[in-house]
Amino acid sequence: MTPAPGVNSVADGMGILADPAASLASLMGAVEDVEAHAVLPFAAHVGVSAGASVDLLSLFLRRHALQSGVRLRVTMGNFDDPLGDIARFTEAGVDVLVLAPLFDTLEPAFEARAGMMAEADLAAREAEMRGRWRLVLNAASGFRQVVLCDFHRITASVPGGDRTDVVLDRFNQALAQEAAAFANVRRLDMSAIIAEVGRPSAFDLRFYLRSTAPYSPALLNVLGRQVAAASRAYGSRFHKALVLDCDNTLWGGILGEDLAEGVRISPFDYPGNVFWRAQTEFVALQRQGVLLCLCSKNDADAVDALLDTHPDMVLKSSDVIVKQVNWDDKVGNLRLIAHTLNIGLDSLVFVDDSAFECEAVRSQIPEVTVFQVPSNPAEYLSVIAKIKDLFLAAGGGNDDVDKTQQYRQRAAALESVAAFGSHEDYLISLDLTVTISRDDPGRAARISQLSQKSNQFNLTTLRYTPEDIARLMNDPATTVYALDVADRFGPAGTTGVVVVRRDAQVATIESLLMSCRVLGRGIEQSLWATIAEDALAEGCVLLRGVYRPTPKNGQAADFYDRLGLTPRGDAGSGQVYDTALAAFIPPSTPWIKVLHD
Amino acid sequence: MIDEDALKGVMAAVLRVPATEIGPEASTDTLPSWDSLRHMNLILALEQEFGVSIPDEDAANLSSYALIKLVLNELTAD
Repeated sequence: MTPAPGVNSVADGMGILADPAASLASLMGAVEDVEAHAVLPFAAHVGVSAGASVDLLSLFLRRHALQSGVRLRVTMGNFDDPLGDIARFTEAGVDVLVLAPLFDTLEPAFEARAGMMAEADLAAREAEMRGRWRLVLNAASGFRQVVLCDFHRITASVPGGDRTDVVLDRFNQALAQEAAAFANVRRLDMSAIIAEVGRPSAFDLRFYLRSTAPYSPALLNVLGRQVAAASRAYGSRFHKALVLDCDNTLWGGILGEDLAEGVRISPFDYPGNVFWRAQTEFVALQRQGVLLCLCSKNDADAVDALLDTHPDMVLKSSDVIVKQVNWDDKVGNLRLIAHTLNIGLDSLVFVDDSAFECEAVRSQIPEVTVFQVPSNPAEYLSVIAKIKDLFLAAGGGNDDVDKTQQYRQRAAALESVAAFGSHEDYLISLDLTVTISRDDPGRAARISQLSQKSNQFNLTTLRYTPEDIARLMNDPATTVYALDVADRFGPAGTTGVVVVRRDAQVATIESLLMSCRVLGRGIEQSLWATIAEDALAEGCVLLRGVYRPTPKNGQAADFYDRLGLTPRGDAGSGQVYDTALAAFIPPSTPWIKVLHD
Repeated sequence: MIDEDALKGVMAAVLRVPATEIGPEASTDTLPSWDSLRHMNLILALEQEFGVSIPDEDAANLSSYALIKLVLNELTAD
């Protein structure tokens, strides 16, 4: 049964959030209930800018944030408009930015096209992608954290890989190189996330083809969890030290009873091989910058001797920065370790095989993250995987630093390939063409469709049938303009519509809408010379615009203000603007070539 | 026949309205919160709750309680 909204207690709600089998409907309710009633120590604001519709991601981002005690506000961006989103997110005070570009829409059905494109075309597309994302990441350098999802496939590859795989790898390397120049960027391996979910369960092609919403709830759930991990729960935690018990944590058995000869740590026998592997993982973490500490009820000299003289020990006493090996209680020892290192208790991760010790730490210093070693050694490795996630998911290790250096050098070498100094330089490189047609009956169906589908950049959100459009085209008092946009990669088709109605020397913009695919390129600025000239030629003296707010079109709210029209107040149907046509100066868009059909 | 209380529960949870507001007359016209985004969430939640796969051609058109009930009953009929 799905509970009615508002009936979950915080504890019940948290239980639903933690339940991997929780239904979507119950999750939606539980997230809102916990947010409404829980006392949460930390708040963050995340902005999501994606090349696909990922609205449901908001639910899963909030789910996993709440599980880390973080109240998350999620702002969704527009479709494939990272630069515009970043400007809006910055103004809205977003801390953490999630960028999720989509490979398949780099060009329509790019996964299929990549298999047939000539190398020169691919290289041009790669350079454009690089230049665009360099601009985006540069614009995003002010955010505390940026989580960049890499490119991935939606369609399955063929066994052994196909050309699309090769192109995908190449584009991901290019993206990684661009990302390496920015310290606040973490990349998420989308192909690994898809593999975790399973490709058949990761996508919903119905919603992809209909509304470019390819991801299944299962995939968005894992993505939400990974974003929380990659951002260290939105910056709410930062683990620095791994504090390890010794007996049955670093080796099998009890040193005081089994003595040095009896502890199990051989790489060639079970369960010694589990502990040997565990030690190897811990030392690897140490090499990547994690501070290793010991906290064990043991004889300090015996432990040091064992670590340094036992032939199978991977971890040496010199790998350990602080040792609290004594018979005092562990809670006090953990406080001492934090004090010695001068780090917060919330920076400690504690690993112990004793349920008693784990519980004592959990209850007395809840800031410390606690892992209990499972009694079945074989299960230990999955616990270690979680510990590694905690330290490494958000990066920052030495290896990462090296890699970052490498990438930086490579990125610098490639600087000349695709360097745009400004957004306008980038736009100029696109060779944008806007072809404006007037009352073209051949475009009526497409114009109607656009009016039905466009929500974000739609000033009045009037929906027209094809017959409505045909009527407006034949009406001498109205003109229907269609905008066809093309760039050097090819045509994007009819992507903008303007309907102008003339009445007693007043030209009113009855409708103005753009497909979200072409936003952020100034297309909506490029048409005003044409509109104004036509209106003057028809004997009009006043240009009037109307903005009717809807839940979706907030981004267009100040469009007429920016265009230089004067607000005349709310006329019931929306905010009315006008300007004398004689005084109206259309915005300049030198990067767009405007043609007339 | 489907469990209508379960249907109302899912719709209430997804559309964020009290279950008492979900009745035979509920539709995209009567519930302002039933927008295209929530509609997609609703379809996903219904598929999960009732263990069905709603065909693409139906998914976009299920704009009322009555239509949803009709299609779910068809899909769950033995």
